[in-house]
Amino acid sequence: MPMGHTATAQAGSGGLTATEHRLANGLRVVLSEDHLTPVAAVCLWYDVGSRHEVKGRTGLAHLFEHLMFQGSAQVKGNGHFELVQGAGGSLNGTTSFERTNYFETMPAHQLELALWLEADRMGSLLTALDEESMENQRDVVKNERRQRYDNVPYGTAFEKLTALAYPEGHPYHHTPIGSMADLDAATLEDARQFFRTYYAPNNAVLSVVGDIDPEQTLAWIEKYFGSIPSHDGKPVPRDGSLPDVIGEQLREVVEEEVPARALMAAYRLPEDGTRACDAVDVALTVLGGGESSRLYNRLVRRDRTAVAAGFGLLRLAGAPSLGWLDVKTSGDVEVPVIEAAIDEELARFAEQGPTAEEMERAQAQLEREWLDRLGTVAGRADELCRYAVLFGDPQLALTAVRRVLEVTPQEVQEVAKSRLRPDNRAVLVYEPVAGEADETGEAAAAGTDENEEAAK
Amino acid sequence: MTELATMDFHPQPQAGEARPWAFPAPERGSLDNGLTVLRCHRPGQQVVAVEVLLDAPLEAEPAGLDGVATIMARAFSEGTDKHSAEEFAAELERCGATLDAHADHPGVRLSLEVPASRLPKALGLLADALRAPAFADSEVERLVRNRLDEIPHELANPSRRAAKELSKELFPASSRMSRPRQGTEETVAGIDSAAVRAFHEKHVRPATATAVVVGDLTGVDLDQLLGDTLGAWTGSSAEPRPVPPVVADDTGRVVIVDRPGAVQTQLLIGRVGPDRHDRVWPAQVLGTYCLGGTLTSRLDRVLREEKGYTYGVRSFGQVLRSAPDGTGAAMLAISGSVDTPNTGPALDDLWKVLRTLAAEGLTDAERDVAVQNLVGVAPLKYETAAAVAGTLADQVEQHLPDHYQADLYRQLAATGTVEATAAVVNAFPVDRLVTVLVGDASQIKAPVEALGIGEVTVVSAE
Repeated sequence: MPMGHTATAQAGSGGLTATEHRLANGLRVVLSEDHLTPVAAVCLWYDVGSRHEVKGRTGLAHLFEHLMFQGSAQVKGNGHFELVQGAGGSLNGTTSFERTNYFETMPAHQLELALWLEADRMGSLLTALDEESMENQRDVVKNERRQRYDNVPYGTAFEKLTALAYPEGHPYHHTPIGSMADLDAATLEDARQFFRTYYAPNNAVLSVVGDIDPEQTLAWIEKYFGSIPSHDGKPVPRDGSLPDVIGEQLREVVEEEVPARALMAAYRLPEDGTRACDAVDVALTVLGGGESSRLYNRLVRRDRTAVAAGFGLLRLAGAPSLGWLDVKTSGDVEVPVIEAAIDEELARFAEQGPTAEEMERAQAQLEREWLDRLGTVAGRADELCRYAVLFGDPQLALTAVRRVLEVTPQEVQEVAKSRLRPDNRAVLVYEPVAGEADETGEAAAAGTDENEEAAK
Repeated sequence: MTELATMDFHPQPQAGEARPWAFPAPERGSLDNGLTVLRCHRPGQQVVAVEVLLDAPLEAEPAGLDGVATIMARAFSEGTDKHSAEEFAAELERCGATLDAHADHPGVRLSLEVPASRLPKALGLLADALRAPAFADSEVERLVRNRLDEIPHELANPSRRAAKELSKELFPASSRMSRPRQGTEETVAGIDSAAVRAFHEKHVRPATATAVVVGDLTGVDLDQLLGDTLGAWTGSSAEPRPVPPVVADDTGRVVIVDRPGAVQTQLLIGRVGPDRHDRVWPAQVLGTYCLGGTLTSRLDRVLREEKGYTYGVRSFGQVLRSAPDGTGAAMLAISGSVDTPNTGPALDDLWKVLRTLAAEGLTDAERDVAVQNLVGVAPLKYETAAAVAGTLADQVEQHLPDHYQADLYRQLAATGTVEATAAVVNAFPVDRLVTVLVGDASQIKAPVEALGIGEVTVVSAE
């Protein structure tokens, strides 16, 4: 089958290349040159996320990520932030289910500083970590939780859907932000143990992308990271595999002080890295991506029963991916009206498959998203790490667009038929209640980055 | 108890030699229909960004029809003389394009992003939207209903709710700036396709519009392309509209928007000050960054990294509207959210930070780091075509020369500690700040009153 329409000669990779290296201590390194702008991105992925957390310690991976910015042997206090920003760089860290990443984008002539800083905390964080940092960042993270989830309408929707879609005890049952109780319970010793277990060169991938001299860059990496001892005590993560379909429709009705009724759902979908996952990405785009999608046309344009309607895909490698439907109702429209229309559209789609035009539109949208992602050195560095950590091959980042464009209408129809079914979803319904004296009433805006927690 | 590290340590490395970078200079021209065009070739940026600015400011909306500019902006992508609304959206997405449009105080802005190879097609669609928008009754009616549905969502969002209240407090009721940009339930309900067409007829024409095109334009015959697309848009000539002066009442006071049971208090503390036309702007940018630009700035050093009251508090200056004669204004504000029980202590600390800053000034070290960051991040910040196009469009919208941003970087580097201190202290005087708190009044009113930062009133969130 030939590839679909493409916007660029190299189908999104833009002719980019990447080289791979490994230090004696196990640190994997990926380098990619691009001299168009005098900037360089450093990205470090640790193969640890909220899925590695144990019962009673949810949120620890993310809280720990914050502690990584509290100083190490040669970097005092907030020095990591101060030095990078003082060098004209930008930086952050984020935690998701499957990994924790740290990144600096620097003017090219300040690259060495970023490498020195990352190496210092990888090798010596525990010489600086103390109770004071722990107590302070615990409070900061609790305020992050309040700000992003507990104090906004529908803010805990993603957490509730995840808890429904992945069963009790499953490593993805809880989200990276964790619970208030567990954040309160985490101790300094938990944090130390977490570092000793997961923060080792052989559990990380470092990528450097941009206006770099690869030989010089590799020499700096060897100099700063080369002496950090490897560590093999990492436990095998709990198995995240689940049957292909849930087998029943799970459902929770939330009565809260929210501005409108909402219908949200999580579908259990193929794991990232499979062809079926790319196919379902196209399917969800046809059904609920943008303003020419089937659900938008039906609910927002024609029936006029919804304010907004869309599908998103959370790609996951260590457990089934999650297709996230989010519909906010218009006026007094009741949820069953929306639900019936959605079921009808999904059934029709499974029956007919996508049209040639729908394939073209969806693939063009997905291709542009990839061009955006690979259009900055930081985006490219992150994708190289992602494919190296999750799939063992950073080169896959440069061919990802091609794989999406290779998806056929038959594959899209097949995955829609087998997965986008009522018995393969967890449904969350919001029914607004009046505002008085609702003690537990916390609410919600379903964003797209809710699977990530950031340090700032 | 700490433990020893076993790695080899090396001294902190020194920077290499900086490689030159300058904010790109656009090429300026105009089409036969009077449309001003700025273009900028950015090698390697395969996603091209196009910004179109229309001289259709919010204050031009007819009385009682607040929101008509917003509905018009949205209706541009709801069909033309060639395509129905659904077809238009489908054609755009077929190019892999996104088209956003929004109305703000200075005017209406359309932002197109599309892979370079599909620029001709997408630019054709954008031109159709401007030249011959359908503004069909039924589509406008749908957009109005949709907008009405959005309003309760915005009111329920603490930061949106705070912004709405601050505008109402700062500006006189007669000023368009005192009212929500996208209209209220009452005004939006009165908008129909006739009102949208009338607003379009009166305020949208190529002679008062500007298009900015940025990206990898290798192999693109832009003159030909622009001539075939935006060049086909016609309209009468017109004088630019005069810009009304901005007046604001910044008497120090506190308004609590009551949200019973809220676990956090959203803070928005602001007033109005100079815009980019004022010579103080670079110093104000520098001082404001030192106060609250990042988590190592003064506010977060205390409120976040010492006390843990917040995930982050930022200070910023955001241009509201500029005029060619320099009479424009910017919103100067501090925003963030703090947990409910610590609202009083957090505000107390915030005011202490401001008082200390006024009493002791910034340090040279703070100033240096701020300059290094603000100037140093420029190549990172302007890596994408969209970022460059956005700033070029802002400059046009604010009646600034095309080389403004490049000059600003030089001015920042030349600004001293004393100037930056004076600018930020003048920007945030402790007795001339309007404080809006969206939170649980029963919990926070008394502690806030005790601070003596101004008279406290409570309003309902509805």
